[in-house]
Amino acid sequence: MENSEELQRFLEQEKQKAMISEMVGKLTSLCWDKCITSTPGSKFSSSETSCLTNCAQRYIDMSMIIMKRFESMQ
Amino acid sequence: MDPFSSSSPSTGSGSGPSSEALMGQLKAQLAQAYAEEFLETVRSKCFGKCVSKPGTSLSSSESSCVSRCVERYIEATETSKFHKKCAYLQP
Repeated sequence: MENSEELQRFLEQEKQKAMISEMVGKLTSLCWDKCITSTPGSKFSSSETSCLTNCAQRYIDMSMIIMKRFESMQ
Repeated sequence: MDPFSSSSPSTGSGSGPSSEALMGQLKAQLAQAYAEEFLETVRSKCFGKCVSKPGTSLSSSESSCVSRCVERYIEATETSKFHKKCAYLQP
C-alpha cells in the first residue's frame, strides 16, 4: 500500500516536470523564432538577449491571463 | 498507465519489480524522451537558420553556423527555464 502511494507521488511529480518541460520547450521555440532573426553568432547580441528575456516574461504573463480566463469558465 | 495494470509492484518475496526499480526505469526512459525531443527541436531550428539552400555538401560556414546555433539554442533554453522558475517564485 505504502508502495503504491510512493509511486503515485512519483508519477505526480514527473507529470509536473513534464508540463514545465513542455512549456519551457514551447517558450524557447517561439521566442527563438521571434528574436533570432539572423544566423546565430558566437554570442547573443544585447538586443537578442533582451528580446529573449522580454519574450519569456510576456509569454508567462500571457499564460496567466489565459489560465485565469479558463478557470473562470469551470 | 498500462505498464502498471498487468503486474502490480510489490516488495518482499513477491516476483513483481520493486517500486524503486520501476521509478528508476521510468526516470531513465523519461530522460531519454526529453533528450530526443530536445535534439529534434535543435535539429529543425538550426537547419532552418543555417542551411537555407542545401548544396551537395555542408559548407564550412554552414557547419560552423550549426555549432554556434546549438550553443545559442541551449543558452536560449536556459533563459526560458530561468524565467519560468522566476514566475513560480512570484506570489
